[in-house]
Amino acid sequence: MPLLTVEELHVDLPVDAGTLHAVRGIDFHVERGEMLCLVGESGCGKSMTSMALMGLLPRRARVSAASLRFDGIELLDLTERARSDLRGARMAMIFQEPMTALNPAYTLGNQLCEALLRHRRVSRREARERAIYLLERVGISAAAERMAQYPHQLSGGLRQRVMIAMALMCEPDLIIADEPTTALDVTIQAQILRLLRDLQREFGTAVIFITHDLGVVARIADRVAVMYAGEVIETASAEALFAAPGHPYTQGLLNCIPAPGKTPPGSRLQAIPGVVPSLVGELEGCAFRNRCPLAEAICETPPPATHVGAGHVARCHFAARLADPARPPQPEVMP
Amino acid sequence: MTLAIEATQTPPAEAAQPFALELRGLSRTFTLGGGLLRRGRTLHAVSEVSLRVPRGQVMGLVGESGCGKSTLAKMLLGLTSPTAGEVLIDGRPIVGTAQKALARHVQPIFQDPYSSLNPRQRVAQIVGLPLRIHGIGSPREQAARVAEMLDLVGLPGRAARQYPGQLSGGQRQRVAIARALIMRPALVICDEPTSALDVSVQAQILNLLLDLKEAFGLTYLFISHDLAVIEHLADRLAVMYLGRIIEEGTREQIFSAPRHPYTRALLASALTPEPGLGVPDIGLGSVQPDPSAPPPGCAFHPRCPLAEPGCSQQRPLLNDTGGDGRVACHLA
Repeated sequence: MPLLTVEELHVDLPVDAGTLHAVRGIDFHVERGEMLCLVGESGCGKSMTSMALMGLLPRRARVSAASLRFDGIELLDLTERARSDLRGARMAMIFQEPMTALNPAYTLGNQLCEALLRHRRVSRREARERAIYLLERVGISAAAERMAQYPHQLSGGLRQRVMIAMALMCEPDLIIADEPTTALDVTIQAQILRLLRDLQREFGTAVIFITHDLGVVARIADRVAVMYAGEVIETASAEALFAAPGHPYTQGLLNCIPAPGKTPPGSRLQAIPGVVPSLVGELEGCAFRNRCPLAEAICETPPPATHVGAGHVARCHFAARLADPARPPQPEVMP
Repeated sequence: MTLAIEATQTPPAEAAQPFALELRGLSRTFTLGGGLLRRGRTLHAVSEVSLRVPRGQVMGLVGESGCGKSTLAKMLLGLTSPTAGEVLIDGRPIVGTAQKALARHVQPIFQDPYSSLNPRQRVAQIVGLPLRIHGIGSPREQAARVAEMLDLVGLPGRAARQYPGQLSGGQRQRVAIARALIMRPALVICDEPTSALDVSVQAQILNLLLDLKEAFGLTYLFISHDLAVIEHLADRLAVMYLGRIIEEGTREQIFSAPRHPYTRALLASALTPEPGLGVPDIGLGSVQPDPSAPPPGCAFHPRCPLAEPGCSQQRPLLNDTGGDGRVACHLA
């Protein structure tokens, strides 16, 4: 049984112009101990999905789902109190900007121990020992002295290490990491990703890693779910997704990034023309069809979830043709 | 429009021409936390930077946050004055050049198209403002030039009457590009111009920047943390570390045979979309440098996997590598 199963998740937000359908009926699951990357561009609903899982959506948001099952528990049936008991204890979150996620008025030690003292029957001393142990594990030197420091005394990279230690305090089953390295320099990013990957394997924690960076996805993901306009349009293992994408959007995204050795320097990059459709009001058919080089009349009908390989599903009328490595499709190069 | 590949080879005739941009020993210091009676600490944001960019080329500038890239860009735009050294644009020093006159030669494109455009002005006003300030042409001519510029950057005609708030991120960056180029500057300082954009839009903007460079014979100083973008665009590349250039050379040299251990770590940390490779161990410790208290000797030595005792004693000079490049490392 997967650790987390999401079926038909919807998140709606009332806006001036009507209702914004931020997440439009998505299905995915997370196995125990795996790294699932949720990838997509801004506004695709990836952060809204994570907030819905954590129960941290703004009050005005409306969530519905056929099932949102975490280790056999239906999350949407829980009281707010019970949800809050899960948060921090069994599901933890790492945010993009550790400076805003950490409380500037409390010491690191205070914040690290807080969740453990709240959720587990431990003494202050035990909590402190675990905090120091984890600070050392995330590569922070002089951990005992750091416990008395405040967030502003740390660099961005160190703060993100503290966030990771904090997320691990209660040994959660699931960590949701929302763009945790986007604000960091590339050298620090590589170090933090390596650390997160190593600890995730060692502790057997499942991670939903939210990112827009396909380079990061390729290097850390076990499986990938690609989101576009509030829908999951493709799920696959990392290898399958990069070798034979089954959706023209995924393929377009991969073509957009200059690939050293493949893209001649200074040559034109393939771009995806046009913009994401508005998510206010209803969308009919395939949401990508107005930007898609393969679009035909049939794309005005909802695309079926097509199995194109083991554990590889793409929502496209042409998915089978696209993902066939024997016949690599050659969509027109858009000017 | 043609590809920009031929521009990567510098014709020999260009050697006689002045460089589009030349920096000679450029430095800038800031004083931190000084008071009436107390002397503050000195922060060396940029130290003795010398750099030459031939006309029509793209010079990539990379380095971590706090390495002085943005201070350098501000000095080139005349927004901050250097503490020492000089900036020459087309062979002429910019010292003493009025800000208004300088603006005709060098223009910036910034990272965030959300904060760099006035939300209360229509696109036509934003793009036409430089023409009005400099009193170029009649209102009718100005309007025609704005329309032409908007067309060149790929915006529909109706965009002229819209406000920035009505445009997407990519469209706003096109407006910023139109505004930068309407005075036909020779040099454009691109400070992370695609970092705030989505991947699919980033490719559109990079294509546009390449097309415009070709069409107007522009020279770019291109600041970015995205090494894939730099490798795609830049003819030459300068790597900065704590205010100094530590390596400089052609794209081929730096990407195929980096000499400085920091450059190597930087290149190793670029995550290309190749599954199965995992996240590389780049061998730098968890210590991040403090620009206000740079380590003695080679500023990189506390993080350097190859550091020897001598590295903390003496600062390495930026020496010629023999080829067409320079590196500052005792061990290179």
